[in-house]
Amino acid sequence: MTRKGLWVINIVILLCLLGSVGTIYSLTSKPTNFMLSCSSELFNHGATGSESDHYLLVDLVSKDGLAQINYRYYDLEGNSVGTLAMAGKVNKVDTERQMFDVSVTTKQEYTGKNGQSTPAHYEYLSYISGLNLNQSGMHSLSVQVLERDETKDYAVVLFQPSNTVCGCRLVNQ
Amino acid sequence: MLLGHCRFDIGKGDLINQDTDVVWHLPRAELHVLSLLVEYQGNVVAKSLLESGHEDDSHLSSASVARAIFTLRSFLGPQYESLIETVKGQGYMLRAHRARKETTSTWSAPFIRLQQVLLMVIVLVALLLAGLWWFNQQRHTVNPVLPLSVETVTLKSEQQVDVILYSLSNTNNELLIAQAQQLVQSLQQCTVTIWSRVFLSLSHDKQVLNITLRGDHFGQSLIRNLKISDLRQPKQFLTPQWLAQLNICSTSNGRVAPSNQLQGG
Repeated sequence: MTRKGLWVINIVILLCLLGSVGTIYSLTSKPTNFMLSCSSELFNHGATGSESDHYLLVDLVSKDGLAQINYRYYDLEGNSVGTLAMAGKVNKVDTERQMFDVSVTTKQEYTGKNGQSTPAHYEYLSYISGLNLNQSGMHSLSVQVLERDETKDYAVVLFQPSNTVCGCRLVNQ
Repeated sequence: MLLGHCRFDIGKGDLINQDTDVVWHLPRAELHVLSLLVEYQGNVVAKSLLESGHEDDSHLSSASVARAIFTLRSFLGPQYESLIETVKGQGYMLRAHRARKETTSTWSAPFIRLQQVLLMVIVLVALLLAGLWWFNQQRHTVNPVLPLSVETVTLKSEQQVDVILYSLSNTNNELLIAQAQQLVQSLQQCTVTIWSRVFLSLSHDKQVLNITLRGDHFGQSLIRNLKISDLRQPKQFLTPQWLAQLNICSTSNGRVAPSNQLQGG
C-alpha cells in the first residue's frame, strides 16, 4: 500500500474517531438545568352553571437530565385539593429555538381530604396523562418559550401536545 | 530469506511467492546463482564465480547464468526484479537494502489486511453512531408552533392590546376564534387595562381554554393565567358576564368585586 493510501486511511480513522467522540458526547451530555413555576386560576363552567374556582401551581424542574413536574391544586381558601406529581427525563433542550422536550415515565396522584371535589382540570390532566402512560409507558410533552424576559425572570410558554399557553416564572439553575 | 514478496528456502531450493503461494523449485542454475547472490548479499558477485561450480564441479556457461538471472527476476516480478542488480563489466549484486526493507513487508500483507478490516469496523461503528445520533435528534424534534393569528385591539384610550392565538392546526379553529372575538369585544369596552398582550389557546381536545394575560405595572412584570373548563355543549368558555367578573379592564393584577369591574365599560 502506498504512503498516500496509508495517510488517507489514517485520516479517515481519525475523523471517524472524532465523530464517534462527538456522538457519544451528544448522547451522554446532560441538558441545561432550568425551573418553571406557573400559577393559574381554574374555572369550571359546569352543566349546572355553577363554577368552582381553584388555583393551580405547576413546577417543572429539570436537573441533570431528570425532570419533575408537580401540579398542585388548591381551593380559594388555600386547602390542597389534589396533586399530580410526575417524574421523567429531559430528552432535549433546544436553546436556539427555546424548546424543551420532556418524557414523563411515572406519576403519582394525591387527592384532597375525603369529600372534597377535585377540580375538573385535575380530572382532565389525570385522564390524559394516564392514557399516555398506559398506552406507551410515557407521557411526552414539550415546552416552547413564546416570550421571555430574562430581567424580569418570566416566560410565556406553550405546552405541547396539550396546546396550553401559560405565563411562568423562569429560573435558570 | 526474504526477497521482496518471495521467500527463499535454501534448504529445499524453493522460491515461494508469499502473495500467491506459488512455489518454484529452482533448477540447478537458478539455485546456484541465487545461493551465491544471497551469500554475498550487498556485494558484487563476479560472473566468473557465478559460472564456476559452487559445491560441485559443475560449470555454468555465461548464457546459463544470464538466463538464470532473467528467470529469477521474472519470478520476483516487476516490483522486485531490481533487487538483482547488474553491475556492468563485473557481475551481479543482490541489493541488501531492498531486501531488508521488504523484511517488514512479510508482516505488511497481513497487517494491511488487518488494518483494512479494522477500518471497515470503525467506519461501520461510526455510521451506526451517526445513525443513532440522527435518530435521537429526529425522535425528539418538535417544530416550534407559530401563532395562528395576532390581532391588535385598540381601547377607548387608544391603548393597544395584542391578542395572540395559538393552535396546533390551521383547521377547525372556529371555537378558539369565536372565544377570542368574545375577548376582543370585551377589551374594546375598556378605557384602559393593565394588560398589553393576551395569549389564547384551546387544548387539543377542546375541553380547556387557556388564557395568559401579560402586562407591566411600574416596571414589574405581571402575569395572569386562566384555565377554563367547560363540559357543556355548545361550549361557552367566555361570556360577557363572566369576562366582566374577571375584571380584564383593571389597572391592577388583583381580583375585585364584580360591582367594580368594566371600567369605562
